[in-house]
Amino acid sequence: MPGVSSDTSGGALAPFSPESQGAAVYPLHHGLKSPISRLSISWSRGNSLRVSVFAAPSDHSVNEEAGGKVVEVKLGSGDGEISDSHWRRIAYDSVSPFALLQSRKNAASSFSKMSMNSSPYDVDWSEYSKDINALLGNQKSPPAPIIDDPKSVIKKGEEPTSLKAAWELLEMFYAEKPSQSWLPERLVDWLAGYDSLFSGTHSTVHSKLVDFQKELVNLQVVEDDPRYWEVISSALAVGWLDIVVKLLRLHGSYRLDQLSNRETENGLVEAVAVLISKMPRMRLEQEDGILGESFKAKPDFVKALEKWRAHINKLDSSAFWFQCAHQQTREGLRSMLQIMLGNADSLCTATCHWIELYISHLLYIRPFTVGLESMYNLAQKCIQLKPMASADRLMQLIIGILGENTEVVLAECSKGFGPWMVTHAIELLTAGSDHAEMLLHEEHKNLGGISIEELYRLVYAQVLSSHPLTWQIAPIYLASCMKQGMVLLQILLSKQPVQHNQLLLKNIEICRLYELDSITSNIMKIAGVYHWKHGRKGSGVFWLQQARDEYRLNRIAQQLFDSVGKTISDESFKQWEGLIQLLGSESKTAGGLEFLHKYRDFKKSLQQIHDGKTTDASRQAVESLITLMKNPSTPQRFWLPLLYDSLKLLNWQDHPLFNVSQTNLLLNKLQELSMARLRPGFIEPDLPPHALDSVRLALATNLGRAILEE
Amino acid sequence: MEKPVATLDQGTTCSAWNYCSERLAAGSVDGSLSIFDSRDPSSSSFTRSSKFKAHEAGIVKVAWIPPEYGDAVACICEDGTLSIWEELVEGTQPLQWKLCKSFKTSSKVLDVQFGVNQTSLRMVTAYSDGGVKVFELIDPLELKNWQLQAEFQNVIDSVSTLGKASCLTACISWNPQRGEGQESSFILGFNSNTPQLNSPKVWEFDAAHQRWLPVAELASPGDKGDQVYCVAWAPNIGRPYELIAVASQKGIAIWHVGSTPDLDGRLSVEKVALLSGHNSEVWQMEWDMSGMTLATTGGDGLVRLWQSNLKGTWHEQATLQPTSS
Repeated sequence: MPGVSSDTSGGALAPFSPESQGAAVYPLHHGLKSPISRLSISWSRGNSLRVSVFAAPSDHSVNEEAGGKVVEVKLGSGDGEISDSHWRRIAYDSVSPFALLQSRKNAASSFSKMSMNSSPYDVDWSEYSKDINALLGNQKSPPAPIIDDPKSVIKKGEEPTSLKAAWELLEMFYAEKPSQSWLPERLVDWLAGYDSLFSGTHSTVHSKLVDFQKELVNLQVVEDDPRYWEVISSALAVGWLDIVVKLLRLHGSYRLDQLSNRETENGLVEAVAVLISKMPRMRLEQEDGILGESFKAKPDFVKALEKWRAHINKLDSSAFWFQCAHQQTREGLRSMLQIMLGNADSLCTATCHWIELYISHLLYIRPFTVGLESMYNLAQKCIQLKPMASADRLMQLIIGILGENTEVVLAECSKGFGPWMVTHAIELLTAGSDHAEMLLHEEHKNLGGISIEELYRLVYAQVLSSHPLTWQIAPIYLASCMKQGMVLLQILLSKQPVQHNQLLLKNIEICRLYELDSITSNIMKIAGVYHWKHGRKGSGVFWLQQARDEYRLNRIAQQLFDSVGKTISDESFKQWEGLIQLLGSESKTAGGLEFLHKYRDFKKSLQQIHDGKTTDASRQAVESLITLMKNPSTPQRFWLPLLYDSLKLLNWQDHPLFNVSQTNLLLNKLQELSMARLRPGFIEPDLPPHALDSVRLALATNLGRAILEE
Repeated sequence: MEKPVATLDQGTTCSAWNYCSERLAAGSVDGSLSIFDSRDPSSSSFTRSSKFKAHEAGIVKVAWIPPEYGDAVACICEDGTLSIWEELVEGTQPLQWKLCKSFKTSSKVLDVQFGVNQTSLRMVTAYSDGGVKVFELIDPLELKNWQLQAEFQNVIDSVSTLGKASCLTACISWNPQRGEGQESSFILGFNSNTPQLNSPKVWEFDAAHQRWLPVAELASPGDKGDQVYCVAWAPNIGRPYELIAVASQKGIAIWHVGSTPDLDGRLSVEKVALLSGHNSEVWQMEWDMSGMTLATTGGDGLVRLWQSNLKGTWHEQATLQPTSS
């Protein structure tokens, strides 16, 4: 295929440079004055790369000079035509049509698996295409002004974008396939909307009209100006009939004071205008503001076209031309007739860009052109007649489409319009085309076992991931990737920061939605550790519990236990009490935590006794003490402090609180403790020196009283 | 296309971003460590939130510890010491960066990297004498206590006797996957005067015998002694093979490493590309989060981006050239 090397289909993964020999070089502005000593790189989320640039140390360095800069580069971003915020809006708006289409496709495929009958779920690509088209902007002309300025020829609407133009091309060639006989007229409308896009690099019919519009106000006698006839012919050639008729009506012969003198001339002008407005057109519907007579069926159209051409021929050979005194009018009108008759030379003269020539051929010479092959050949012919100075991305796309090469179309979409375009256009390319579907859904070993469709979705999801405002929609695209999307989603979620609660909750919500339990618990774990280490012990414990991280909770219990052991004073205990409460008893933590719970109960009872609530509290305190002392998990170093705390219980006034066996247990423990003190490494509790003696005495007294009592 | 996000101090020599790219640690020639944070999560402008003297000697490398273990960095100094610093609140003191652990050895630490699996944090360090040590964290909430788990040399055949090795640089890259049942593995290469040590080898933990085994060597027969500048293990989002980049004096090689070992316990390896780019030394290689694009930087002062096309051919996709204006 001329003009398109087969290598284009090689398909770059990311669209940031054209696939060509040698990589494109992009400048990386860092603003440092001193020479650079070293670089350091790091990928942020998605496809943004952060480059640290370190300046070389200089002897005469001024203090305020920076020693380095960190620069963020977003690969594949930066479309001059569409602002970043506009891109984000497009990204957000296209989620629901995309998701809807996917769910329809899934429903259709699961239904076709279940039964051989045709599916009741029709996958409607044209609806999808229209939805996407609508979100790319409203291209319709603004409402006509109430007082129509006869001299305003070109209406100014919303600035057209290449992106929308490209989408409409794909739409008409892929989503609306059945209506191929209307394709030429669809292209006429398309060019009418987007011809201005080519004005930047080429002279176009549109740019000619705009230039002439500026002159128009200063012209007294328009028909004397050769450019008047030139722009009329050009507009006629590309089928902008309303503009042509409007321009014709500016002809001086219409003026009341001239009408009588230039009757024949005016008759000719009007005859041409009428012929133009009666031009037969192969259109689906007669629309307002579109001149000409529309025909849906081909035979009717052929008949009308022959009749119309006969009228033109008749007018062309009429004798009235000799009576027309105004030379420019005579010549101008007759060259218009040549255009309408399909004179190839006239069309070529009247048009500027090859696509304009192409459209004029479709309108006047080959209105029955169907089939992409003949359309492609015609396009090649037009390009030869009007070669392009530079390769425009829209033109490349048209050539790709007409060449019926899906890979080229895809590569042009990627190269010219970026990952959003490819991801969403693939849906249209596969619509009803088995060949394209096979090509795009086939799994490639070279790509690690994924299809081209999935590859482009992954690339697009990465672009979305790189911005804090769009990463949340990346999961929708990743979820549609059968093979590798889920793991990339897991990586994406694991790279979200946890320190901001709102973000954390959002993150967890997404994890739950896609049932990524292990990621959820890891995120919670990270959050738990973060809060724990940053002094928010409560939040730390909460998140670790959510994560069911027994391992770390155990360590925390151990830490609490150790610190309680170090300072058993009431104040320090109060600090920990809340945490012990929070840790709860359900977590299957080993001895440490169990001890803390019992210890807390014991302390509470003692406090109640201190406050005067004695009867129940004293019994509870005794029970707590006994369980604590019986429990093997109670560390030895706590024994004496516990007993010392219980002096009041041991010396209870009314009656002994401990029975004989209980007292014996405590005495045994005391004995064990005395033995342990002789061993090296024993840690002496921080108690008054007489503590041991007073406990021993109290125990002995209690034992005596208990024996007497029993 | 580019946007400045932070300004570094005079004398900054190295930097590293944390797991979510929200914090930057930068080491300096005077031994101080700076931490940069952004005001809110949607902002991409980072300012210094703390700066402290980590060491007397200049810092040559910083690495973040995985977030499950807190906000902490390991830094390697010019004199070869390794220290771990952590941001935390202790008792009633305000939040601050504290030294958790300092490792002092007779030979210099050249590189350090952390790997996480289900229950533990492991740290691999490579030394100037060609030694490799793997440490394991004992308490998940304390970065003070590390246990030496293994000590070996980067050779396949341990019987061969080596002369006294002198290594300039070392490079370690953990397998970023951490799925259920996945054994820890990492790749390690040296730039040294001892050919046997140089070639990058994949080490995998053998849980049954609690030891590390070399399971692959990523060098063609003629290139085994080549000095290795950099290694980078790509994230794997579903490929049936692993992707590892190795930079040596011959260029940047892209390797496919199979996942199932043969009878000898070795993994199949295949060099799929040899890319030439930075002319001289390669400083750093980083895979993006999908493992599709490799970014490299090196002695020519450029950043290069490499991708594979649909045919599986690796090529340079773009070059970023730093300019001052």
